[in-house]
Amino acid sequence: MRKIATLLLSAGLVASATTAIASSPKEDLEKFRAYFEQKFPGLQLDDFGNGAYALDADKRMQWEAMEEFPPYDEFVDKGREIWEKPFKNGKSFADCFGKDPSKVRVRYPHWDAKTKQVVTLEGDINKCLKENGEKPFKWKKGPIAWLSAFFGYEARGQKINVVIPDDPDAIKAYEHGKHFFYAKRGQLNMACADCHVKYPGHFIRGNLLSPALGQVTHFPVYRAKWAKKSKDGDGLGTLHRRYGGCNKQVRARPFKAQSKVYRDLEFFHQYMSNGLTINAPGYRE
Amino acid sequence: MRRSNHRFSGTVGSLLLVAGMVITGQAAAAEDPISAGKKLAFDRKKGNCLACHHIEGGTLMGNIAPPLVAMKHRFPDKAKLREQIWDATKNNPRSIMPPFGKHRILSEKEIDLVTEFIYSL
Amino acid sequence: MMKKTIISVGLALLIAGCSASQPEKPMSLKEQYEAALARTQAAVEKAASMEGEWRDIRWKKSKKRYLPKAIEAAKAGDYEKALKLLSIAEFQAEMGYKQAMAEKNAGPHLYGL
Ligand code: HEC
Ligand code: HEC
Repeated sequence: MRKIATLLLSAGLVASATTAIASSPKEDLEKFRAYFEQKFPGLQLDDFGNGAYALDADKRMQWEAMEEFPPYDEFVDKGREIWEKPFKNGKSFADCFGKDPSKVRVRYPHWDAKTKQVVTLEGDINKCLKENGEKPFKWKKGPIAWLSAFFGYEARGQKINVVIPDDPDAIKAYEHGKHFFYAKRGQLNMACADCHVKYPGHFIRGNLLSPALGQVTHFPVYRAKWAKKSKDGDGLGTLHRRYGGCNKQVRARPFKAQSKVYRDLEFFHQYMSNGLTINAPGYRE
Repeated sequence: MRRSNHRFSGTVGSLLLVAGMVITGQAAAAEDPISAGKKLAFDRKKGNCLACHHIEGGTLMGNIAPPLVAMKHRFPDKAKLREQIWDATKNNPRSIMPPFGKHRILSEKEIDLVTEFIYSL
Repeated sequence: MMKKTIISVGLALLIAGCSASQPEKPMSLKEQYEAALARTQAAVEKAASMEGEWRDIRWKKSKKRYLPKAIEAAKAGDYEKALKLLSIAEFQAEMGYKQAMAEKNAGPHLYGL
């Protein structure tokens, strides 16, 4: 009896899994967006880029006050200095990214058909350094986050536009990231989607959960919590730093920043926010 | 030989574990089970039930899950309540509530104490 | 104190039990540790291969780090402690793998998307 039930169950799972895989990225995106628009009917699409602050009037007031004199400004300036400073070989970042820094952020992440992998902005920053005989930056904070924040700042007002090409390997990377997002993990048994799809707008302890839609528009982010931990008030951190934090709080082993897992996750995660306006860097608690 | 030997030592191991638990259990029994259970339920590193549930006497509580009130009414059978805490995914496979027993986030004894506390609400 | 007594009684029983029925030498604590270590390491790799490894098994920033701490304890000669830590690490690795298998078909459809 039990066996039959298991068989039926697995048949059901297989069937639903096929439907899940059969949906194209475009269909996924439409459903994803419709879900959040239904859940929060009062919000405009771009409001989602304000994360939890779009959902709570009190928190929003405090946040708007912070954004009047943004604590990240000095680090965006440091990013600009890095951009302008030539390498020892006389070349500079402009030789890798093009002369106009406002045109950089929107190209990432993207699929690279030659290396068959997802390329991120941070990945290309360090690639540029290495190719020019410079020491690469550390991945999660400091200069890499400053420069990335500078690119984001310069790109404010443009829209996220991740392209998933019709290439089986690119789809595979996208599906990998998507699966990672929806699968429960860690001793506490929670998926990204549990907190950021099922329960956004709810409080977990004192934290108001943000919707997954719009979560990437303001990265790198300046977090008060990270600023407190640093010596010099530098609260900027990359998206992969945040991924690591959200993995370890469910007691899953975090992956390395810029690992294949996190790059694939970013591919899916940023794609889901296509069409939203870039407002990086942002301030968060 | 090796294998049977290993299994035997496993049994000894669990016996020792039980012995150890009885000892700590006795120490905890000095405190009444309900307040011991409350401590565990409120402790962020243990039950952390307040992350999601409203429980009388708590602070900084989440609102993901139903408030834990009138529990004897909701769960006339204490064993059912314990099961919910031991593995919430049994009732709802997609539950966000951590499976405290199944994943050994809490020990069996700790789950007993938390159950006593929740049952008293 | 109490625990020590139980352990030695247990060990005595173990040795007595085995030597009575079997001519071979029983597994020493060290051998038990080595077997448990090999099993645990295999279980951890298996969980990791499914992206299912939990935080406290061996990640360098975890305060618990059951696996490396077991190895340290064994190096210091404390095989009992090592075995205890390994049993936690092995359990967590096995559960992480099981969890990943159970979540193999996870996707938006489970969230009504
Ligand atoms: C236990 C619930 C929980 C889980 C599971 C979880 N997060 Fe989070 N996450 C939070 C909380 C709490 C915050 C801070 C409040 C907020 O902005 O949502 C946060 C913040 C974030 C942010 C920053 C949002 C912003 O506006 O700056 C991102 C991005 C994010 N999470 C991504 C993820 C990803 C990807 C996963 C899966 C790997 C994940 N989270 C899993 C609780 C969770
Ligand atoms: C991460 C969030 C979360 C945490 C932490 C959590 N729960 Fe829950 N709990 C839920 C949710 C959500 C439900 C609703 C049923 C479901 O979705 O599985 C629930 C349901 C319950 C129920 C059933 C309530 C009813 O009226 O049917 C009990 C009892 C319960 N939880 C006890 C606890 C205890 C005790 C703890 C701490 C040891 C705890 N929970 C920790 C999320 C949580």
